[in-house]
Amino acid sequence: MLTALILLPVAAAIVVALIPGRRREIHLSLGIALSVMPLALAGYLFWVFEPAAGFQYVVDVPWYEPWGIAWNLGVDGISLPMVVLTTLLVPIALAASTTITNRTKEFVMYTLLLEAGMIGAFLALDLFLFFVFFEAMLIPMYFIIGIWGTERRIYAAVKFFIYTAFGSALMLAAIIGLALTYASQEGSASFALSDLAGLDLSVGTERMFFAAFAIAFAIKVPLFPFHTWLPDAHVEAPTAGSVLLAAVLLKLGTYGLLRFNLSLFPDASVDAIPIMAILAVVGIIYGAVVAIVQPDLKKLVAYSSVSHLGFIVLGTFALTSGGLQGAVIQNVNHGLTTGALFLLVGMIYDRRHTKKIADFGGLQKSVPLLAGFFLFMTFASIGLPGLNGFVGEFLVLIGSYPALPSFTVIAAFGVVLAAIYLLWAYERVFTGVPDKEENSVLSDLSGREIALLVPIAVLIIVIGLYPKLLLDKITPSTEAVLDNIVEQTDYTMPEPGRIGDVLVAGGE
Amino acid sequence: MITPPEISWIAIAPDLALAIGAALVLLVDVQWKPAPRVLGWVVGAILAVAAGLTIVQWAQGADALAAGDTDSLVAFSGLITMDGFAIFSRVVLIAATGLGLAAGWRFVVSLGRRGAEAIALVLLATTGFSLMVAANNLVMLFLGLEVGSIALYVLAGLARERRESEEAAIKYFLLGSFASAVFIYGVALIYAGTGSFEILGIRQHLNDFVISNPAVIYIGIGLVVAGLGFKVSAAPFHTWAPDVYQGAPAGLVGYMAAVAKVAGFAAIARILLTAFSDLADTWLPVVAGISVLSMVLGSVLALVQGDVRRLLAYSGVAHAGFIMTGVVGGATDGVLFYLAIYAIQLVGAFAVVAVVSGPDGAGSSLDEYRGLGRRSPLLAGAFTILLLGMGGLPITSGFVAKFGVFTDAWAQGYQWLVIVAVIASVVAFAFYIRVIVVMYMDDAGEEQPLRVGPERWVLALAVGATILWGIFPSSLLDLAADALPI
Repeated sequence: MLTALILLPVAAAIVVALIPGRRREIHLSLGIALSVMPLALAGYLFWVFEPAAGFQYVVDVPWYEPWGIAWNLGVDGISLPMVVLTTLLVPIALAASTTITNRTKEFVMYTLLLEAGMIGAFLALDLFLFFVFFEAMLIPMYFIIGIWGTERRIYAAVKFFIYTAFGSALMLAAIIGLALTYASQEGSASFALSDLAGLDLSVGTERMFFAAFAIAFAIKVPLFPFHTWLPDAHVEAPTAGSVLLAAVLLKLGTYGLLRFNLSLFPDASVDAIPIMAILAVVGIIYGAVVAIVQPDLKKLVAYSSVSHLGFIVLGTFALTSGGLQGAVIQNVNHGLTTGALFLLVGMIYDRRHTKKIADFGGLQKSVPLLAGFFLFMTFASIGLPGLNGFVGEFLVLIGSYPALPSFTVIAAFGVVLAAIYLLWAYERVFTGVPDKEENSVLSDLSGREIALLVPIAVLIIVIGLYPKLLLDKITPSTEAVLDNIVEQTDYTMPEPGRIGDVLVAGGE
Repeated sequence: MITPPEISWIAIAPDLALAIGAALVLLVDVQWKPAPRVLGWVVGAILAVAAGLTIVQWAQGADALAAGDTDSLVAFSGLITMDGFAIFSRVVLIAATGLGLAAGWRFVVSLGRRGAEAIALVLLATTGFSLMVAANNLVMLFLGLEVGSIALYVLAGLARERRESEEAAIKYFLLGSFASAVFIYGVALIYAGTGSFEILGIRQHLNDFVISNPAVIYIGIGLVVAGLGFKVSAAPFHTWAPDVYQGAPAGLVGYMAAVAKVAGFAAIARILLTAFSDLADTWLPVVAGISVLSMVLGSVLALVQGDVRRLLAYSGVAHAGFIMTGVVGGATDGVLFYLAIYAIQLVGAFAVVAVVSGPDGAGSSLDEYRGLGRRSPLLAGAFTILLLGMGGLPITSGFVAKFGVFTDAWAQGYQWLVIVAVIASVVAFAFYIRVIVVMYMDDAGEEQPLRVGPERWVLALAVGATILWGIFPSSLLDLAADALPI
């Protein structure tokens, strides 16, 4: 089933490639129709997923036995939400791309291949396989930014590619090192996560490997100070590219930290808590402060990502139940809200052909629906209770406080800053008197655009009001990660480290 | 009384087929003056026969190995072997020859009556290199090297109406003969130190005796590696490569570069890993140094090139460095796999160059590739896949190849080398990506459609191999793992 999930988008891309014809509508609508199939499958997977059973639907087929590489897939509570999110956002991103008029066929193909790469990376349980997906998806994204982006697209695309490739190069070296250590200790080759996690590494080696993985993922997240590629990539990318970049690609970084760093290098992870926490908090505050002063709406949302992802990293390295649950759920939330914000910015851009905040003003008179959705997403992003952002941020903060009290207090200011930059941006763009002629004649959201935003909005409310739906699936897996760390190291969880449980249990 | 060595026809059968084939092409051409198409069939038949004979060798060798009889793999009093290593390399050489001739076919045709000369030279070059990879004796190896190299010098100057081609030929010839001289001097010193020309004999000698004065051998090894390093364009012996790649006829450059690399590295691997495996501690640091220098110089200099052929030349220097990491790793299968993959990709890439800049055109400025993605989507797509394959992107065979040699080097204790290598691969991505940027993201300059001839088959095969062996590498990896030197 998981194999099918990866191969479906690939097959869809091939089908699109085989359809000739110059009419772009065919390719685009075909792409959307085909990309609903993985969504359906992922939805079914979510439905039948057994929270307590660890990795499920495991596929383990040897790929090249002498090297110990395998087509090894599996899904657990940490990867499941990400897979569903990916499959949900691809059709939406495609459907939002009607403004792409040249080389539509290639665009649809690249998007579908990107989807396959992302799903594969989330499902891979073999480090070699993970690396393959992790790298392979760079190419479609590179093309999406480089061909369909705006003016400085090539610079942005190359920067994106080189940054990420550099990070993953070090990770490749570390993967080789890990596998060979395993081979020399056990006498057989393997790249399986479960095999490599049990290795005895010397303190120095483990820290080095941890650093190599952490740098690769920190660039992807991106964590301060590795974030400089992100604003460029986001601003230049087409709407679909931005949505997928923010909503899914960046999550590979946080997902990787959680899945690989924590379970492969428990000792080094515990030792690295202060460093990661500092970087996370600096990112939260720095991203927020920089976002406040951005004159460009898209760049503002991009920097808000830097800030929000800092929360996820903070939660991850708090190493408490609440922190980890919050991190996973915030992965989903950020994907939904920021994805939606990028969609909205794209819609505004389609109408006005500018992203400069100064060019707007009083838009809510002419486009009330768009303004309403924007405000809704803003609230979700800020963390208004009752919406999804609140659940995630609350869990992260409450989970981090026992472990890292001072960092948590500082990070909490990030929430306040988020309210400032987003609401201020809303005020400048949508409220007031429309003093510019162009702004008062814009057309409001079309039915198609509403159809794109409504599913996201519904999910935001559902997660906000009934987080148990997700948390039940997530919690056993995050607990397993924690148990593993507690077991393998002399880490003592701060009291009350398991408060996430208490909250969830109390809610029942 | 001299007893002539026993003749084992099968040991040299493929080489004989190629050499006789070369003569045959010339004779047929003189006698019947056939159309180029006929010559094409003749060459195809010759290559097929050579490949078939190689497979017969392989079957025999497998039988002999199964019987535990390694002696029968060595023929002509120890001059020639038919071990798996030789057979694998030879198959790669023959494949590169077929693909290379197809890629350069339009150039061959454009030569008119001189076309048969070009074909004969290509076949002779392959004969020489084929003997070289099978040589168990350093003098034999030198003979093969010279036969192959001299044919290549002439090929480089075949488009002699163009000054660049002449310049390339002269440069290649002068520096190449110098390198050959260095090589043979090294062989002499090795003989002085060990009393043997034979690979197995040298190993035996080093095994049996404690060498009291090893300096002679060390210098000998150094000179041999330097001479072969020239042939594979490893830094710091690479300076000829960009000029030759740029000046030689576009269609044939891929072939020339590929066979020289395959044969050169096969020889390096055989000499260092078989003959001098006991002295590994001595030569490992030197080879690692050459490897680092090649990777760093090649990648960095490739970044600033404005000409696709020079870019490919410098990337070839970097690849020489990557393959050297495999030699450091001490496993021949990684090296062989890399060579096979790279040879195919190189020929494919130059097939694209041949289409874009015309069969005998000089230079290939990056500007000519502007907007190739629009002018000829298939060509650009194939080039993209080949470039990404050379860069070592996962799901292409290039990644598997790189992964293999890096793993070997790491296991050998050369972690720092692997780290340099992975960083160099990222830099390498940067310049491959530059070409892709120019093809897809810049607007087309001219909209003239391109004529693609037999190159399309080369590209189809090269792209197919790049992707298939990227996803299912086991078939080729298994073969490479079996192809051990005796």
